[in-house]
Amino acid sequence: MALPPNGERVATALGIYEAADDRVSLMIVVVGPRTRELAELSPGETVSLLGPLGNGFALDALGSDVALVAGGVGIASLLLPAQQLRERGARVKLYYGARTAGALVDASVFSSLGCETALATDDGTRGTRGYVTQVFEREGAAHSGIAACGPSPMLRAVGSLAARFGIRAQLSLEETFACGVGACWGCVVPLARESAQAPSFPPAAPGESRDYVHARICKEGPVFWAHELRW
Amino acid sequence: MVTDAKAAAAIDLSTDLGGLRLRLPTLMGSGCYGSGEEYAPFVDLAQLGGVVLKSVTRLPRLGNDAPRLVPVASGLLNAIGLQNPGVDAYLANDVAKFADRPCAVVGSVAGFSVDDYAYVTERLAARDEIDAIELNISCPNVGHEGETFACDPKLAAGATRAARAATKKPLIVKLSPNVTDIASIARVVEEAGADALAVINTVRGMSIDVERAAPALANVSGGLSGAAIRPIAVLAVWEVARAVRIPILGQGGIETARDALEFVLAGAAAVSIGTGNFTDPRVPLAVAAGMRAYLGAHGHASLAEIVGAANPGFLGAR
Repeated sequence: MALPPNGERVATALGIYEAADDRVSLMIVVVGPRTRELAELSPGETVSLLGPLGNGFALDALGSDVALVAGGVGIASLLLPAQQLRERGARVKLYYGARTAGALVDASVFSSLGCETALATDDGTRGTRGYVTQVFEREGAAHSGIAACGPSPMLRAVGSLAARFGIRAQLSLEETFACGVGACWGCVVPLARESAQAPSFPPAAPGESRDYVHARICKEGPVFWAHELRW
Repeated sequence: MVTDAKAAAAIDLSTDLGGLRLRLPTLMGSGCYGSGEEYAPFVDLAQLGGVVLKSVTRLPRLGNDAPRLVPVASGLLNAIGLQNPGVDAYLANDVAKFADRPCAVVGSVAGFSVDDYAYVTERLAARDEIDAIELNISCPNVGHEGETFACDPKLAAGATRAARAATKKPLIVKLSPNVTDIASIARVVEEAGADALAVINTVRGMSIDVERAAPALANVSGGLSGAAIRPIAVLAVWEVARAVRIPILGQGGIETARDALEFVLAGAAAVSIGTGNFTDPRVPLAVAAGMRAYLGAHGHASLAEIVGAANPGFLGAR
């Protein structure tokens, strides 16, 4: 989470784009006043950073032929996994979509890592016309596992396709965050009760009929197995 | 500079909140700080006056659906809905972790009936790890029944009397700003046996997502916190301080020492920081340091000297 020193007094959650030695890179896409303020910072200015927070992708559980599915700014959170998967010798294909060509960031860094790439834009100005999940639907069944980051509708579609293909998917979720450390319970997603760890999530009370709990995206996530979500 | 630092260190920030002795006047607001352990990697808990734990209810609560948060101008709307494991699981799994806390630990009790308040207060207060009880009679996010207690003088007094009978530990009752006359509620709660009052809980509000043409929160309405409500909270402390003699815990949008001093000068013996931690977990440390610097610069030896100093009608002890 990064915050401008004098900006709106609410933090912004950002994925780490690159990390090496004592340097951390964040990819910021301007969507509102806080991200604009961050983007307008000059070299040498100071910001506060709290992190890294939450879990990450469990890459070992995805097999040797991994699909990365990215929507919009979600691309930023998939570069580190791409690097690590390639270092382990996995085959990696990136499916990456955005609204329009101007909203796609340069994905050549994935190509240079040896990842295949397939692009899609809603308006067809670059790559296949339509949603990235439509491209993935045609080609995705052959993969051994999926790591995805993007808007919720895209992640739900990826989860449904993974179930249909019979392969497992890890989804990195985003919500509005307040504390970022698991204290305020503001960012939650319904998680299958059997997947939730005690003591934060005690066993169902007598007469409790719901098969899910509200897990914190910042603490138990942001990465969840698609088949464990009840959203 | 050395003498300045020495002088600042000699300034006494300790305070007494209805029998709860605090080394520092900074409590972390209930619901904003979990059980404290979540922030321990980032903040030395010994630098805090204490932590008010997340509210606990008799039975487990799933909480409200998402979205539960909406950032708004100078504040945050929330509708968590009192998600908690219930008092049995809480006592079995969580409370023992508080034994070696280097700061005060205040349990927070929420309920839907007078009996709930009595039962959960008794269970929680019986534990040595809990130094005091906050009675949350003012949660605005669990349907009408959550806030009914703080908005009706008879019910507020009833819940307070029941909790009072259930424990001898310091009892801090948290009042709602969503009333016509907070001073009159404060008076009946004092008469019913409260040792201190927390002023204020969040202010009711809502936001509409214009793209979806629907309420932004799943719960429709929520509680507004952050800088946006600070002037509302300062006025509430000012009015309550003219109505009761018991100490006041001032809270609502505190982000700096100057913010905290407004509450103290209005009549608060201690302050609570909630949403301020979300932008910077070091806020409570800066608040305590800034209070010391202010007191030194104005020739005071202790925080107690300035409690209610701006408020000619202040009834409390100093």
